[in-house]
Amino acid sequence: MHGLGELETAVMNVLWDADEPIKVRDVLERLDTGKSLAYTTVMTVLDNLHRKGWAEREHRGKAYVYTPAWSREEASARALRDVLDSSGDPEAVLLHFVASGSDEETDLLRGALRKKRIRRR
Amino acid sequence: MAISVALLVGSLLCGWLLPRALGRLDVRRRDPLPLLIGWLVSMAGVLVAATTGLVLQLLPGHGVGGWAIELVVDCWSALHHGPAPRAELWVGLLGLVVGGVAAVRLALVGGRRFSDLARETRRHRSTLRSVGRRADSTPETLWLAHDRPLAFSLGGRRGLIVATEGLTRALPPAQVDAVLEHERAHLRGRHHLLIAAADALRTVFPFVPLYAHAPHALRELAELAADSAAARRHGTGTVHSALTGVARHTVPRAALGMAADAITVRMERLRHGDTGPRRSRRALACGLAATSGLLLPFLTAFALFLGLAFTVCPLPGW
Repeated sequence: MHGLGELETAVMNVLWDADEPIKVRDVLERLDTGKSLAYTTVMTVLDNLHRKGWAEREHRGKAYVYTPAWSREEASARALRDVLDSSGDPEAVLLHFVASGSDEETDLLRGALRKKRIRRR
Repeated sequence: MAISVALLVGSLLCGWLLPRALGRLDVRRRDPLPLLIGWLVSMAGVLVAATTGLVLQLLPGHGVGGWAIELVVDCWSALHHGPAPRAELWVGLLGLVVGGVAAVRLALVGGRRFSDLARETRRHRSTLRSVGRRADSTPETLWLAHDRPLAFSLGGRRGLIVATEGLTRALPPAQVDAVLEHERAHLRGRHHLLIAAADALRTVFPFVPLYAHAPHALRELAELAADSAAARRHGTGTVHSALTGVARHTVPRAALGMAADAITVRMERLRHGDTGPRRSRRALACGLAATSGLLLPFLTAFALFLGLAFTVCPLPGW
């Protein structure tokens, strides 16, 4: 999973906060980046997000409307899996409050623990 | 020759014995910060003493004087010229090769480690920033929409703290603050960098126990130090509850014997309800730890040299 640029992230946030599919102009209006952006800039960013698979679009009238390709929760889960799984090398990249395995690893461990307990009986 | 050999043997001796001495201290009842400093400085001290020994061996006639040499000046020449000059040359060359290889390896391994660390940190930061909500705080804190209660920190020039919304659902606000303070302490203490440096040293000198044990010990001490920092601000009870609350959601790896159970040690330390000594006492303890860690290899070498001098050449009149 490749990270996004600052403007792309800001645009994704607008898409995630919107309840329905929105047009480029709506995104431009809702963007809060502290500086005024050109319509074409936002259009390019949305185009890139679509190309990278972060946003989906469909024709509505003459213009495209955009929706996030996945929810913020799904994106977070993917990002976390990416970060946590690769953090073994070098090990010092992340310091956890409580170190834990990934979801699959945790499931594996649970399974192994259960077996261990059963065998003990 | 004698001084440089004493330095080399002294540093090796410290590299062997120090981790035992440090490992015997009960981390549950001691302030972790002086221990952390003790480890780090003695790692540096052993390296400096060994390097000094190697460099001295290469200097013709040893540019060092000192009263110890003058005291045994009569037999110095015997010690100095004892071995055939050829033997001395070969020993010197061997030292040069061994020291050179170690230095180059350390530079290469260290360089690769740190560039890997910087690259991975940059990559993770960019990934996490794309999906997290940025809170208005320093150091930068990202909140991720995720159910598992997680908190971790990324090092680097500008550190980053990441926490999940699951954390705020699993813990009351005061405990969440304690968890964030724990992560801030990691960043303030540059723990990511210290552990990466210890990892690099272990890769180069895996046969020296001081360096072999350091990464594990430093990791544990870094967690304990961060807990202490959080406890000083939020109370030991709060940190203890936060630890329990988060640990409940993860399977302890120790249950499978995969790693030493640092969490048990952390909890026991927090249960003592001790937030560590007062500021002035801590500073004193840290200073003492640093001084002794740095001096110990040199003092050992000095003692070895004196011992050697007194056994080989009894003082006139004795």
